[in-house]
Amino acid sequence: MTGHFEPRIVGFLCNWCAYTGADLAGTSRLKYAPNVDIIRVMCSGRVDPTFILKAFQLGADGVLICGCHPGDCHYSGGNYKAARRIAILKKLLKQFGIEPERLRLDWVSASEGERFASVVNEMTAQIRKLGPLMPTNGPEIAKEEAKEFAESATPG
Amino acid sequence: MNRTGVKIGVYVCHCGINIAATVDVEAVRAFAATLNNVAVARHFQFLCSAPGQEMIKKDVRELGLNRVVVASCSPRMHEIAFQGVLADTGLNPYYLDMANIREQCSWITSDTAQATEKAKRLIGGAVARVALQEPLQGRQVPVIPKALVVGGGIAGIQAALSIADAGYHVYLVEREPSIGGRMAQLDRTFPTLDCSACILIPKMVAVERHPNITLLSYSEVVKVSGYVGNFKVRVKKKPRYVEPGACTGCDECARVCPVEVLSEFDMGQGKRRAIYRPFAQAVPSAFVIDKRKSPCKLACPAHVKVQGYIGLIGQGKLKEALDLIREELPFPSVCGRVCLRPCENECERKQVDESLAIAALKRFAADHVSNEGPPVPVRRTKKEKVAIIGSGPTGIAAAYDLVRMGYGVTVFEAAPVAGGMLALGIPDYRLPREVLQKEIDRVRALGVEIKTNTPVGQTLTIPDLFKQGSGAIFIAIGAQQSHRLPIPGSELEGTLAGLSFLRDIKMGKRVKLGQRVLVFGGGNVALDCARSAVRLGAQEVRIACPESRETMPADPSEIKQGEEEGIVIHPSRTLAGLLGYDNRVAGADCLNVLRIMFDEEGHLKLETVPASAHVLPADTVIFATGQAPELGVVSGVQGLTITERNTIAADPDTLATGVPGLFAGGDVVTMAGSVIEAIASGKKAAVSIDRYLQGRDLREGRTEEPVKSADFKVVIPPGTQTAPKQIMPELPLKDRQGNFKEVALGFTREMAVAEAKRCLNCAVCSECHQCEAVCLPKCIHHALKEEEVDLEVGAIAIATGHDFFHAPLLPQYNYGHFPNIIESMEFERLCSATGPTGGKIVLADGRVPRSIAIIHCVGSRDYHANTYCSRVCCMHALKQAYLVKEKTGAQVYELYTDIRASGKGYEEFYERVQREGVLFIHGRGAEVIMQGDQLVVKAEETGLGRPITLPVDLVILSTGMTPRKDSEQVARIFGITCDHHRFFMESHLKLRPFHSNTDGIFLAGTCQAPRDIPDTIAHANASAAEILSLLARGKVAIEPLVAEINPELCSACPACICVCPYQAISLNGKGKRVAEVNEALCKGCGACAASCPSGAITVKHFTDRQVFAQIEGILAGTESRSKP
Repeated sequence: MTGHFEPRIVGFLCNWCAYTGADLAGTSRLKYAPNVDIIRVMCSGRVDPTFILKAFQLGADGVLICGCHPGDCHYSGGNYKAARRIAILKKLLKQFGIEPERLRLDWVSASEGERFASVVNEMTAQIRKLGPLMPTNGPEIAKEEAKEFAESATPG
Repeated sequence: MNRTGVKIGVYVCHCGINIAATVDVEAVRAFAATLNNVAVARHFQFLCSAPGQEMIKKDVRELGLNRVVVASCSPRMHEIAFQGVLADTGLNPYYLDMANIREQCSWITSDTAQATEKAKRLIGGAVARVALQEPLQGRQVPVIPKALVVGGGIAGIQAALSIADAGYHVYLVEREPSIGGRMAQLDRTFPTLDCSACILIPKMVAVERHPNITLLSYSEVVKVSGYVGNFKVRVKKKPRYVEPGACTGCDECARVCPVEVLSEFDMGQGKRRAIYRPFAQAVPSAFVIDKRKSPCKLACPAHVKVQGYIGLIGQGKLKEALDLIREELPFPSVCGRVCLRPCENECERKQVDESLAIAALKRFAADHVSNEGPPVPVRRTKKEKVAIIGSGPTGIAAAYDLVRMGYGVTVFEAAPVAGGMLALGIPDYRLPREVLQKEIDRVRALGVEIKTNTPVGQTLTIPDLFKQGSGAIFIAIGAQQSHRLPIPGSELEGTLAGLSFLRDIKMGKRVKLGQRVLVFGGGNVALDCARSAVRLGAQEVRIACPESRETMPADPSEIKQGEEEGIVIHPSRTLAGLLGYDNRVAGADCLNVLRIMFDEEGHLKLETVPASAHVLPADTVIFATGQAPELGVVSGVQGLTITERNTIAADPDTLATGVPGLFAGGDVVTMAGSVIEAIASGKKAAVSIDRYLQGRDLREGRTEEPVKSADFKVVIPPGTQTAPKQIMPELPLKDRQGNFKEVALGFTREMAVAEAKRCLNCAVCSECHQCEAVCLPKCIHHALKEEEVDLEVGAIAIATGHDFFHAPLLPQYNYGHFPNIIESMEFERLCSATGPTGGKIVLADGRVPRSIAIIHCVGSRDYHANTYCSRVCCMHALKQAYLVKEKTGAQVYELYTDIRASGKGYEEFYERVQREGVLFIHGRGAEVIMQGDQLVVKAEETGLGRPITLPVDLVILSTGMTPRKDSEQVARIFGITCDHHRFFMESHLKLRPFHSNTDGIFLAGTCQAPRDIPDTIAHANASAAEILSLLARGKVAIEPLVAEINPELCSACPACICVCPYQAISLNGKGKRVAEVNEALCKGCGACAASCPSGAITVKHFTDRQVFAQIEGILAGTESRSKP
């Protein structure tokens, strides 16, 4: 194993806002971390939790989902649906032994190229800090989660 | 692993050097060639060029490719073109996938190694995905051959005319009463100096006359559904209250309208009436009434047209004011004195200073109409008779309305005088008996028969009344029984019941009272008893009540006056018992109250302070603690329900009792309410009785939740000055002893007019109906209601225009603080021959300015405001400088950032203005201040590199164009997007600058970005051309990216139905219940697929398998964490 770590991040971007925003970042020649490989979906609400788990399973160190800003969804409310699903999934991730910080949902409008670039940079820095997703850490994280759960479930 | 039969060609584009300079295209190609199923991999300089496309076609034909991956720019750029390449070869276009290695790869990094690796990963994903892509067939749907244009400014007018001229029907929806938009407000246009109206108005008239255009003015789009070619649009038509066809535009109505508000068309500089036409050449030319909601009228239970009579009083039209009050109210004088004034609580004037003295104004109108003879009796037009039991405010209000509807009305009153509590419960010093008598006499004169000394219940019963021919009976006997508290000593000599005490005084009986009077109760009756006791000569008068001082239900002004008269109030007390001496009251045992509570059944419970027992001395105790109806009247009536609280049960919406034809209202139903509530109840009964007798539905239209003033917002007119409320003159304290003379003396004429002028005209139209009276064609209808119309169109052009930057947002310019600092559109109206000054450029004091500074870029190109250039203001400012020179010869300074004069004839116009002697200062206006009485502009002259100060008479702020303030809401209605400035977003700034992001919806004019008139015309015609091409095609292809449900897996759970924003999924009823997708409605968002717990839903072209394959392809080469 070499000392250098390049995070591998899979990005799911909605076609109408975020994907267009990512295109705008490129058209504006903004330089940002090339670590996010983008998969275009029609709506962030299309992002099935299994897509995210599949990406982690196949070797992604992080998963980024970007949709339209709340209220601006092309399909009226798909981004709200994504927000709810991701909130639940984040809770589950710990049980799989994956730090919830490896999953990020953010809003990028079609006109926010700069915002997209900074979201990607932040995400990449975050994953760089967390290091590669090591399955060996899994039991530790899961154990921590179990402990937290036990504490929160204990009647006070 | 290769999939049998799949042969993929991968093509890597150099895009000149856009990709090739950063991505090692050869390395990428070599990598792609190694991927599963790839039959050929090539790179090429410009794949989008004809030779590039030809190369792909040749490979497909010669090598038998059946899948293609193009690695180049964004699919948003060329996906359709490359799908076309596949289609040309006979391959299904959905066998294409694109890897975006330009916008999302080569342009975002300069690291060749990283860019090359990323390109490989993206291509890996695309190759894996494309292998699983399936052939799809696009659908063709017919296009509705009609268009909608939203916005009737020059852009909308132009688009509508172009489409209509081509022979298609156009609906033009305009929010304002007239089309014309911003261009109609301009004086002249640059660079030709054409009169704006002269070139616009012919087009407006053409719209009105065009057989293919339906103009929906004063209307708004509220809902849009459907898709390209097949939109369904709901339009809300606001009522004009004037019939457009019949109005002759004679202007007589506006002349008599008492309401003046600032004219929006003149940018708040001139005034207009509530009934108005925005400008003389408006299209349609019909007048319109600006009718909004008025908090006072809504707060009044009887909905008296408060603003209307106040406006008329302000004009001195007292007779008209009184007539208007009497439309709803038989008791203007009484209510002007004793109403609890819920209207004043809601008065918006409180935002400025204090609420209006509404009741006092009503009293003024009622008291000061002189020479008023008795009213003309109403002609009886209906054969039915109505009997009303009780002549209090409820009964009289019902009688008043019913007699005016043409019924025969008889009121039965048990007491010797008519008026109920008004006659027997309210002391003369608040309501003189002759005031009441006069108003009751008027009701009698209208034709109502009032029989006093005629109790119902014993010799004459309700069944008797029905038998004697009453079609309906209304019980309005009030609640006239006083409670005495059931406490030890309450039957001692010297204890009185409040209402009987007041009644005895009113009936002129001698009332025996001690020297120390204690009244128990916190309401108005308690105050009335206490203040009467003072007048009867008691030495000490106290009030004790369980409520705290702040929560006493009595009118605060009553409490104040009572205290002035010497009454001592002991709040938060309760009586434990009365102390007696020689069988006479000697004092009251009191406890302090800590808290007032209600138990589950709504009964009052008091929590007292422990060990707080104390004695209040008294030789007379008056109980003013609530009242109850005396229900002897209904004895023997079958089918009537009496509630636990000893009231009659009646439907709250209709006041109907369980007995057909028998209604009950007022205090006998609701317990002690206010006078105005009692009147409102009577009015409600009148409506019900009329409907009952005419055999109509009692309930129709009456069950809706009433609008409250909290539900809407009233805008305080800018520039409203504070003005103190007029204080009601009162009888001096010394003159109140030993008599019952009226305390409140009423306003003088001057006070009334001054008070009336404080009204903010919240509702604009005051509903005084003066316009209706003078309208010759009788085309004014105040009762018109809003309507909704549904339209079906194939395409939509949005031309909703712009607003202007609001100068007060930049405080350094002191707009609004000092006079003679105006915005450029205000100058435009000032300059216009149809403007408030008739086109004379004058200062606030009427002088002609000798020097004028025009400050450019106000709110534009400014990090504190809008960063964009508003594009038209330079030329606009140059034109205004020219007009100033032409009309006044004044010195003009243009303080500019850069002069942007790009356009045909613009540079020449700039030179011409320079030759006119206008001085150009290259520097931003920094500040406008007042030195003494001189306006001074401070700026930096960047050419000289030093600050300068310019003393001027007038400052024009060239405020930039901004998006409409509701652009985001409008975008949501149409399903389009806004850019970060909130202008509507175009689909591609260069290539599709008038397409919205939604197919079939196009943008025209300044709603997309600031632009001048010629560019707006071009933009609008471009949208019109696009719409015409769509309508002429007659068919539109719909992408087949829809959801599909596998019935084998579906468990009919309905998760998908809940998440679908288009109601495209439903449960099918045949056989096994499964969910089904209506492909015509599905937009392919995929929310259902992500929510399906059974994995039964796939979205075509974005199936789970395809996405999984893409993830796998992208991540190939990383250490997989899957464990078999």
